[in-house]
Amino acid sequence: MNSVFKALSDPTRRRVLQLLRKRPMSAGELSDHFVVSKPTMSAHFSVLQNAGLIEAEKNGRTIVYRLKMSVLEEALLGFAHTVGWDMKAQGGARRAALKSGTRLRPLKQEG
Amino acid sequence: MAAKTIWNYIPPALIALDAMLLAENWYLRPQSAGSWFVVLVVLIGMTLALVLASREPKEETARRDAGGSVRRGVATAGLILAISLGAKLGVALGAVHYGDIALRATMAIVGAFLAVTGNAIPKTLTPLASLQCDSAKVQAVQRLAGWIWTLAGLAVAIAWLTLPINVAEAMSYLLLPSAILVTVGQAVWLRRAKPSAL
Repeated sequence: MNSVFKALSDPTRRRVLQLLRKRPMSAGELSDHFVVSKPTMSAHFSVLQNAGLIEAEKNGRTIVYRLKMSVLEEALLGFAHTVGWDMKAQGGARRAALKSGTRLRPLKQEG
Repeated sequence: MAAKTIWNYIPPALIALDAMLLAENWYLRPQSAGSWFVVLVVLIGMTLALVLASREPKEETARRDAGGSVRRGVATAGLILAISLGAKLGVALGAVHYGDIALRATMAIVGAFLAVTGNAIPKTLTPLASLQCDSAKVQAVQRLAGWIWTLAGLAVAIAWLTLPINVAEAMSYLLLPSAILVTVGQAVWLRRAKPSAL
């Protein structure tokens, strides 16, 4: 459960989960929605996978990510999104970005 | 390892216990024997499913998941039996003064079981290659079914714990068939959906 809280505490990861709620997406499709480097995105995917919130499946040459959230986890996601559970996550993302040597930029604004 | 061995003995022990209760009721209270017979059939069915799930050649994880879910089902059935028997015994011995406690506890556990099962529905994923229809629609249907069963189960459990019996009964009659109807409706809609590119 700790890994779930950790995964949900980051706004980028929450956004990934929200995108996957619509339909399963490939890694490339998901990355197109963010202005962060591919290694950072892949680190986010790996955190989500370790928490058991998404599942990766190889489909030909692409990796397709699918949502694997229970009802309780989805309710937690909704709660985290509403409350804006990202105070600690900002620091976490900054630390992750520093570790991977990438510069943090804001998320793309969608129409 | 020891826990695994205990799990192997629980289903036959429950079946034996239920068979004894069925035999006892058959002679002493024939009007109650029918419900024990139904419980016996359910237990035998679940045990068979457990045996088949553990023997079917599948991937290790899938086999473990299937075995685990059937074990949880058998454990819930056992819990329902134990609580029902315990409460009846308590009332008979004068330790419990509420005659309807067995019914309330049983129905609350049934509701909790439905909620837990519903909670896990969106987590059960079929490989994309074996999907016959649009993966987005399958996901949407699984999520909706999960929410419906979780909320219906919770509502039933809370109703049986807090409301008068006739109201709780009416709520169960309203909620559970509605949840079944919506789930069946979704399944029919899904069968008509066209396959997607993913």
